[in-house]
Amino acid sequence: MVMFATILMMSLLAVAACAAAFAAATRDESHSEAQPERRVVLDPPRFFASPAGKAAETPPVPVEVLLSQIERHVRLEQVAAEAYLDLPTRESLHSRTGSPLLH
Amino acid sequence: MASVQTDLLNGLSEEDRAGFLALGVPTRLASRQTLFRLGTEADRAYLVTRGRIALTLPLRIRGGEEEILVEETLPGETVGWSGLVPPHRFTLNAAAAIDSELLGFSRTSVLDHFAAHPAVGHTVTRNLAAVIGHRLQVFQTMWLREMQRVVEQRYS
Repeated sequence: MVMFATILMMSLLAVAACAAAFAAATRDESHSEAQPERRVVLDPPRFFASPAGKAAETPPVPVEVLLSQIERHVRLEQVAAEAYLDLPTRESLHSRTGSPLLH
Repeated sequence: MASVQTDLLNGLSEEDRAGFLALGVPTRLASRQTLFRLGTEADRAYLVTRGRIALTLPLRIRGGEEEILVEETLPGETVGWSGLVPPHRFTLNAAAAIDSELLGFSRTSVLDHFAAHPAVGHTVTRNLAAVIGHRLQVFQTMWLREMQRVVEQRYS
């Protein structure tokens, strides 16, 4: 009887130890699952476009800014044309202005 | 009104200047108010006496249409020659850039005055031709400058 009780106690202890070990192991797994998923960052598909082409793209100028630049261009061109008519020469006909549309 | 200084009346006596200016009907425009629109019938020309009139043309930008400044007329300058020159249709839009005052000269009153005073008609017409000729040369020069840039961009 004593032997039976001893074997039973030993078995219970072994089962308890296994349960504790299993619990610890499963806790580690759930912890690791909670970590943020690692993502592999890939470059966007480029096909035949070169990366340098992307750098050449410029954001569109707002229409209000464009209108202001056109207005300034017209004024400067008018002044340049008047200057040419005051003293017509080949050089003054094609003189440069500080127009924002030409730079 | 005899104090208005304008190239249009160069060479006229004070009496003739006053007589011509008396034909003008004072017109007052608030800032941004339209004087005339492109394509509409032109029955009068204007002399700017105060302020500034912006002449614009429509330009297509990104699918929309925007008014682009072509020229500004200042006190002493004329605007709306189409009122005197066939086919009597305005070829630009005109609006006050700031609060402005003008004298409006109807075609019939001007032609009647010229018929009654041929010497005045001759002088004013000659002055008008000089003003129009100068503007034509300015725009011809501006056009050539733009053409030069197009050629440089395309073929250089």
